[in-house]
Amino acid sequence: MAGKSSATPETYSPSLTGQRKKRPPILTDSDWVRPDGRSLHQCRPAFLRTGAVNSASGSAYAEFGNTKVIVSVFGPRESKKAMMYSDTGRLNCNVSYTAFATRFEDRAPETKDLSSMLHKALEGAIILKSFPKTTVDVFALVLESGGSDLPVITTCASLALADAGIMLYDMVASVSVSSLGKNILIDPVSEEESYQDGSLMITCMPSRNEVTQMTVTGDWSTPKINEAMQLCVDACSKLGKIMRLCLKEAATAPQD
Amino acid sequence: MAATSGVHDLSSEMEVDAFRRLFPLRFHERHLLESIRPDGGLLEKLETQPLCLTMLAAIKMEVMTPTVEAPEEGCIGLNKCLSGMIDLKELCLVGGKAAWMVYLDIYCLDADGALFDAALLSAVAAFSHCKFATVQIPVVSLNDDGRIVLVSEDNGGAKKEKEPVNKDKRKLKLNSVPFSLTCILHKDYILADPTSEEESIMETYLTVVLDSSFQLVSFNKPGGPGLANTSAIQKPTDLVTAELDSGDCVTLTRQRVKELQKILNETISDMEVD
Repeated sequence: MAGKSSATPETYSPSLTGQRKKRPPILTDSDWVRPDGRSLHQCRPAFLRTGAVNSASGSAYAEFGNTKVIVSVFGPRESKKAMMYSDTGRLNCNVSYTAFATRFEDRAPETKDLSSMLHKALEGAIILKSFPKTTVDVFALVLESGGSDLPVITTCASLALADAGIMLYDMVASVSVSSLGKNILIDPVSEEESYQDGSLMITCMPSRNEVTQMTVTGDWSTPKINEAMQLCVDACSKLGKIMRLCLKEAATAPQD
Repeated sequence: MAATSGVHDLSSEMEVDAFRRLFPLRFHERHLLESIRPDGGLLEKLETQPLCLTMLAAIKMEVMTPTVEAPEEGCIGLNKCLSGMIDLKELCLVGGKAAWMVYLDIYCLDADGALFDAALLSAVAAFSHCKFATVQIPVVSLNDDGRIVLVSEDNGGAKKEKEPVNKDKRKLKLNSVPFSLTCILHKDYILADPTSEEESIMETYLTVVLDSSFQLVSFNKPGGPGLANTSAIQKPTDLVTAELDSGDCVTLTRQRVKELQKILNETISDMEVD
């Protein structure tokens, strides 16, 4: 056996011949029909659960359609990386994808970008003064990527932080929309994201009505952006209520 | 996971936890004397599922050109104990030109000791799942320029000339399936299926892997101050009258194999129903 595996052979995955996924022509006066049958302004049903990982201080698992994410939070704990004394706490975020998270045709996700965006989204909500000199580590693992990854990661991370008992100003909920022709779709799946003209993601603290992060890419007109922002903020407040419900259930569950 | 034990009559729970952290070895030794474990389980009782240990295994298959030495065989990315389980010739697509390369990825989501056991079990479960109808190896055929392409059902008449290469080989056949058990040897005691706390304190552990016909696949003891003498490994008792509480590693592993096989079959047949 050892001799045969001396050099890793080149592999490729079998794919349909000549069938490169072309964007279907979107006429200006027709509506996009969503592959999973949702209406344009309807989010995917959310499944949220805390306490998925016992060895972490706090953890959460989130499933939005086909996007499955598990987040573990460790801390506050000592960190070798922190060189200087600081009287506020530090936050360290790391996002990684499993090898089977994306389909073969998609390019590898930019995990470094995602990690820094997660950091920016969360640092506004955490009360860093409550754990001086120590570090909180947030590790997110995407088990399956079905579209709208970063919003799901941020939502799940906020739940995990709450589960770990880290003090937060408020829960952090995040939703993204895609602009496709003349439509605005909320909570897009991977297929819709690949055809989009532009995307807008809002991460906010619903009860405080404050936005911690907003990311806009692509082609937007002013009225469209206003509509998209309003959609996102409304969806975030609904998501915030669902998150609180999940935490309440976990807290009042019978202790074993 | 607070430690409660009927043996100690310390005044409050806080003291037990503190004692556990400050003098871990003595804490565990006191339990060993009374033949129980800190969480109330028996020393040699095998937990049917490892306590709080979660692993996720996934199989990806890609196409590769087989090596010159073995043109009729495919390849498994992680060999170890699995080489007996799958006949590599099953993975061949077109002799000398294309075969399946199986990538096995195992992710540990929650670690609490005896990682190898859980990893092996999840890998075996993933391959068993591959075997049944829910996940099938996609039908492929050889393209004109020598590459393998997927055959889709709605391809129309024009592409029918390409013969599907593996119509009848869509499920993986598994031979003997390996299961393992890790035990810790500490002085005269054998501790089966340790948690990570127990593993970190007591340094001698060994892993026995048996397959479904109870043949020995592998035996691994990576150093450690304890010596594995024959009585710990396999008491020379008559196999017919082997008593289940004779407390040696191979017997424990045998018990474990039976339990795990039952659980695996139940889970897979449950999945088949939906």
